[in-house]
Amino acid sequence: MTLTLDALTIRRGDCPVVDRATLTIAEGEFVGLIGPNGAGKTTLMRGALGLLPHTGRSSLTEMPPQARARHAAWLPQAREIAWPVSVETLVTLGRTPHLSAGQRPGDQDRQTIAQAIATMGLAGFEHRPATELSGGEQARVLIARALAQDTPLILADEPIAGLDPGHQIATMTAFASLARQGKALIVSLHDLGLAARHCTRLILMHKGRIHADGPPEAVLTDANLRDVFGITAHLTHTPDGVIFQPLEVLP
Amino acid sequence: MTRALFPALAALTLALALLSLLTGPAGFGIGDSLRALLTGQGEAITLVMREIRLPRVLLAIMVGASLGLSGAALQGYLRNPLAEPGLIGVSGSAALGAVIALQTGAAAAFALALPLAALTGATVAVLLILMLAGPRGGSLTLILAGIAISALAGALTSLALNLSPNPFATAETVFWMMGSLADRSFSHVWIALPFMALGWALLLPLGRGLDALTLGEDAAGALGIRLDRLRLQLVLGVAACVGAATAVAGAIGFVGLVVPHLLRPLVGARPSVLLPASALGGAAMVLLADIAVRLVLPERDLKLGVLMAIVGAPLFLHLIYKTRRAGA
Repeated sequence: MTLTLDALTIRRGDCPVVDRATLTIAEGEFVGLIGPNGAGKTTLMRGALGLLPHTGRSSLTEMPPQARARHAAWLPQAREIAWPVSVETLVTLGRTPHLSAGQRPGDQDRQTIAQAIATMGLAGFEHRPATELSGGEQARVLIARALAQDTPLILADEPIAGLDPGHQIATMTAFASLARQGKALIVSLHDLGLAARHCTRLILMHKGRIHADGPPEAVLTDANLRDVFGITAHLTHTPDGVIFQPLEVLP
Repeated sequence: MTRALFPALAALTLALALLSLLTGPAGFGIGDSLRALLTGQGEAITLVMREIRLPRVLLAIMVGASLGLSGAALQGYLRNPLAEPGLIGVSGSAALGAVIALQTGAAAAFALALPLAALTGATVAVLLILMLAGPRGGSLTLILAGIAISALAGALTSLALNLSPNPFATAETVFWMMGSLADRSFSHVWIALPFMALGWALLLPLGRGLDALTLGEDAAGALGIRLDRLRLQLVLGVAACVGAATAVAGAIGFVGLVVPHLLRPLVGARPSVLLPASALGGAAMVLLADIAVRLVLPERDLKLGVLMAIVGAPLFLHLIYKTRRAGA
């Protein structure tokens, strides 16, 4: 198991933002974390990483910080790049947990960095200042940074928001391929169509609780969509794979 | 570019240190000065070189390095190029301690009362900041606590001047607050050095954490950086550096603000490389300014802090103008 949560609860004041979340994620799973705004997706992931005070158990918070950073990479929603460092320098930050203080990246590190840059289609951008790239390009640089961390588990908060369709699909495909190589990914998403098509498993959150958990078709049922999102949708199997299209908002 | 930067900065600092040793009203020859410094030949000239000019040069290097390093560390932590060492309120509190020593006459009674009082002021400010900003909590609480403490220290300093019964003490205080390295001795070096060395030892290893903070606090935390520990180390390091610098030299602004700003493009904007570069750059800048105050108006005791602000502010405006044009 790469992640185990047991009754993880995170409160903001008295109100539980995440309420007794229990789940396990195994190697090779590409989990889409879905739910309306404010359902607790971000809080669940931050709590699991130990970035928020919580009750209940998360297997990640039981590790010392450096071991945890070698086990799980975290891609926050806020795409912060504070200084005009080069793309390569930024992606190299992903190697921080693997290097001791003052140690320079070795050949293996450089190879991992180059591979992460290539996976996100950023070859040729290495020496450009990261802050001078477009928003979507910056998002891809930050994903490359998380990939360069080379962890068995990756948690990403809306990584494909704001990317063009080509890069959205390319990113989802890259994630799915990482899962096939044995990594586990938890990715929060608002695009249910891409989630249905690429994820091996969906976790649907509603008002801080895990409302449904299973294969995409078992989660994206009419009843769940109505109760949680208040929408109707159309889901079909085609020779090209699953096609999911939201239709209307229910009155 | 980065590889050539450190030897260049070191050479510049060394050259300015030498120039500073040879600058002064006594007007000795270069050969005589250096011979006296190294071998002790000639009583008067040896005294001037070893007891007046050497401590002045050493203090300029120490104060400049401390301010440059503190500025780079604070800017890295707050991810804001406008942060400066005075931000966390330590320099204001150190100045308040010094003003109390001057106003009560303690400074006149006992030479080291002033730096010791300033260091006490700095220590009180650190304790207050750690209490106000709490052990967890992000960078915003640190800034707010720093602003509050600076404002309070500034108000109490004004109060001390306001109620001062002695106009001479007031004049002395006002001049002291302008910042200077004139008439310092080796006792100032020895009192500041342990604190500054402690500050350097705390701040220089922060590079790895500050680099990770480029991605924000959340991402840095998830990269295994212990942010609470980093912040404590930063506050204590900046306080030791800035407290000691203010105690021996008074308030010298702009070094901690401008030096990291000038050097950032030369180190590829990496906070870890900027730390040692700013220490060297700060030393060079204070040495240069301290040479300038003796050359520009040799008879009028031009204050180092005044010159630094007069040169620093337009330089900073120029940098802002350049940044704005690059951003537009």
